[in-house]
Amino acid sequence: MALDQIHKTLAAVICILCFLMGCVQAVPPDLLVALEAIDQDLIALRAPEAAPEEYGQFVRQWVSLKARVQLDDDLITWPWESSDLENELRQLYVMGERTVSQLHERQTSQHRTVQAKVARLEERLHTTTSKVESIDGRILLGEKAVQTDLLVKQARAFFEQKDFQRAMQAAEKADYAFKAQALLLSQELGRYADESRIAYWQTLAKQTIDWSRIHQSTAIVVSKAERELTLYKSGRKVLSYPVRLGFNGMLEKRFQGDGATPEGRYRVTDKRGQGQTQFYRALALDYPNAEDRRRFDLAKKSGRIGPAKGIGSLIEIHGADNELLAQTLGCIMLDNPNMAVLYEGVSVGTPVTIVGALTKENTVALALSELVQRRDEI
Amino acid sequence: MLRKASLVSLFLTLVVIAGCAEPPTQQIQDAEKALKDAQESGAATYSADEYAKLEGTLAALRKEVADQDEKFTLFRDYGKAQQLSASAKADSERIKAASVEKKEEAKAAALQAQQVAEEAVKATQDLVAKAPVGKDRAAVEAIKNDVEGLKSLLKQVQASIDKEDYPAAQTQAKAIHDMSQGVSVEIQNALAKVGKGKPTKKK
Repeated sequence: MALDQIHKTLAAVICILCFLMGCVQAVPPDLLVALEAIDQDLIALRAPEAAPEEYGQFVRQWVSLKARVQLDDDLITWPWESSDLENELRQLYVMGERTVSQLHERQTSQHRTVQAKVARLEERLHTTTSKVESIDGRILLGEKAVQTDLLVKQARAFFEQKDFQRAMQAAEKADYAFKAQALLLSQELGRYADESRIAYWQTLAKQTIDWSRIHQSTAIVVSKAERELTLYKSGRKVLSYPVRLGFNGMLEKRFQGDGATPEGRYRVTDKRGQGQTQFYRALALDYPNAEDRRRFDLAKKSGRIGPAKGIGSLIEIHGADNELLAQTLGCIMLDNPNMAVLYEGVSVGTPVTIVGALTKENTVALALSELVQRRDEI
Repeated sequence: MLRKASLVSLFLTLVVIAGCAEPPTQQIQDAEKALKDAQESGAATYSADEYAKLEGTLAALRKEVADQDEKFTLFRDYGKAQQLSASAKADSERIKAASVEKKEEAKAAALQAQQVAEEAVKATQDLVAKAPVGKDRAAVEAIKNDVEGLKSLLKQVQASIDKEDYPAAQTQAKAIHDMSQGVSVEIQNALAKVGKGKPTKKK
């Protein structure tokens, strides 16, 4: 009986020991919580989109191990038995922590890079817009200007959404759009930086001034790039006034309605005083002259100008009907007090030479050089 | 005789057990198809984290099946694989439904932004229509050029919507709206400067 009692007691002790020592959980719950937190950190760092490979690697293991935990497999071990599952979870935790840290660093760096890039683009957009305005290139650029603006705004929007990849893509497209703008402007207005063309314009102006000196008469020279009209008397400069040009003033005039101000040698054909013009006072020019007609016919024959286009007319040097307007349809506009002085000093037949620029360092050439330089910076 | 019968019975039992331990091929295929469906519904974009986990589950499932396949026939147990494939299929369907919903939300937001942008461009066009046609039109020629550009940009929004790239469509539409408003202000300022339209002059 006593022996039986001893056996029963021993069995009870063994059972309790087994219960106390054998029921060791293979995976500490706090390890699972920590891994869940790592997963949340990765999601917060937008790892699935920003680093799909790294996140995929982590999550495949995490899901696989979690499945093993959930399937109640390997959960109970003897105290002396090592748990493979726990070891693998610990390794995954270390890997996850490292990924979080790397991603965090990478995102901080990306944030800085994209932020700087977007800020640079915005600053560039601002500068380019003002440069393009200054050389009347807005119409010349057509849709390119708003297209570039859109891309810069998109880059900013994606950056603010922390979608750095898309922000960078939009920024790169904007870079390309800026380059295309600079290229187009260089193609259309490159003659302002062309030394031989400037030399030709200088010759035209010099011949006009020489004519004024030889004939002891008045002559006018207009430089479009400098937006300046100069009156010569007997070969001497007597006055200079700022002028406003056509809305596409820097271009060579090609056809009616293009907003360009013509270039070439003209003469005053008529003086229109008070009541004869809506622009205060006007000096009518003989545009189109023979050279303009020859150029126009050639362009039309070659198909560069549409068959329905006309050559235009009524180019004048005139005063301002509306002082607030910054541009004309292709004429040369002066402030009324200046126009009054000029009108009095000029007679019918006065030569008027309109040129693109008279110096290599003209405003258009400088603006183009800056735009091209900035294009190469990126 | 009895001993012989017992041996036959044991053999048959083993055969039955071994025969039952087949990989759940159909269930795995169903889970894979559900994952593909989820992916096609845009889960990788609209439920990126859950989709990545789903891919993880499928990887775990494939590994489990491979592990069991390596075992001796009698010791194979595809119970876990069955559980995993069932859970992967259920998750795929849930994620697919969530992605479809999120995608619809993104589409609705993009369409709304598109409509707002179109209205803004239309309002800007209406303002341009009020611009003078005479000599004062020089003041608004450059602005008209921008309005034409904005109209053209609206096509890009539609192109993004057609490609189901709703985040891009939304940012484009928002930018166009902002730009339209800027241009409208510019037109109003220009119109404030010019007087009433005067007869067109040839230039």
